[in-house]
Amino acid sequence: MAIYLDCNATTPVEPSVASVVVRFLEKDFGNAASPIHDYGVFALVAVEHARGQVAEVVKARRDEVIFTSGATESNNLAILGLADAGLGRGRRHLITTTIEHKAVLEPFEEMARLGFEVQILPVRADGRFDPQRLADALRPDTLLVSTMQVNNETGVLQPLAEVADILANRDIWWHVDAAQGFGKELEQLRHPRIDLISLSGHKIYGPKGVGALIARKYDRQFPPLRPLVFGGGQEQGLRPGTLPVPLIAGLGEAAKLALRNNGERIAHCQAFREKALATFSALGAEQNGAEEYTLPHVLNVSLPGINSELAIKALKNVIAVSSTSACTSHTHTPSHVLTAMGLSSEKVEQSIRLSWCHMTPEVDWSEVGTILRARRG
Amino acid sequence: MNDIFRELEEVTVEQYDHHDLPKWLADPVLMVARNPESYQGKEYLVEILVAQVREYDIYAETGCCKWAYDHEDIKRTLRWLEE
Repeated sequence: MAIYLDCNATTPVEPSVASVVVRFLEKDFGNAASPIHDYGVFALVAVEHARGQVAEVVKARRDEVIFTSGATESNNLAILGLADAGLGRGRRHLITTTIEHKAVLEPFEEMARLGFEVQILPVRADGRFDPQRLADALRPDTLLVSTMQVNNETGVLQPLAEVADILANRDIWWHVDAAQGFGKELEQLRHPRIDLISLSGHKIYGPKGVGALIARKYDRQFPPLRPLVFGGGQEQGLRPGTLPVPLIAGLGEAAKLALRNNGERIAHCQAFREKALATFSALGAEQNGAEEYTLPHVLNVSLPGINSELAIKALKNVIAVSSTSACTSHTHTPSHVLTAMGLSSEKVEQSIRLSWCHMTPEVDWSEVGTILRARRG
Repeated sequence: MNDIFRELEEVTVEQYDHHDLPKWLADPVLMVARNPESYQGKEYLVEILVAQVREYDIYAETGCCKWAYDHEDIKRTLRWLEE
């Protein structure tokens, strides 16, 4: 079996997370919205415990965590949920960046259809957007700025601290899609200027199908979000529906471990990185995205003389990698991220993304090098 | 395994010495914290207890929404630990 190097698509599940999920599937199966007996009360207690575990990662408050089905839904709620507020106040200008995930770009397309003006900022060759371009784009009628924390294809950390300074004392909502950075890079998301943070369980060794939108409150009030679905009033009215207690409890456990084990996970990923970098450097590969801003568990490279599809197939018995994001790889469209960074179409088609984690076993890098050299030859 | 019990003891002593956690509630919690061997396999509940003690608020029930934990929450978790 090939070694799994596609952790940006989804991570393996931590054993203790799986144990918690199974516990709430098999034994403690109560409905958190039915706390009239111990089954329901325990489910509710578990949900609130998980809420605290998720909040703790970004130093938010427990009541600022809204559980969702994942970051895609969180992004939709954060963006489309502000539509009424924008239309009601005559603020129809929105800003995002060209390297966002489709789960942000497509809600923005929907906002444009509703009458909003969407401004999409370019990125530089290093894989980061330019904060000055953002500052220049702001207008009195800007309602929302949405910027990702870490790019899913390149692993490049975006300049959020600079954005926080730019948006300080401005009456503009700021959403951060943190699907790839939550629980991995801890400091950025703790900045109190960030109003809305999206995250997914399955990117942090938790279960699929669960995530959260963290919405920071001011004067005990959420940002003026409207729910996208109705019926039941759960999650403070913003995300109705019976809570998936096993998934939420699993997400909480994953968040706890992300916080507790952050240092050792980074150290493991960094050690792994050095071997991967050495292998691909020897092959003459060019890294996509500036190394100094790239998180230690991701490497996106273009391999001269080797089409990525052929490389991935050639390596399939040794390592399992991808060429682009999981959500677009099935469409066989060129990476919009690498294209936006200014890569030629040839280099885009030669790009592969490797992403690993603290649970990744050793890879036989010499075999990887041998296979790729033979393919190029 | 003992880390969570040590954390429970620390947070309970802190809440009792410097905040509002009453002695009648602190005592049974400390009994749990200082007897980890009796609660093996129940670490998940102990974790919940740590959070409840840390966020204990004597006025948790007041106001429109209950976001802190009160004595009823802690008593209930202690009961579950004994079941």
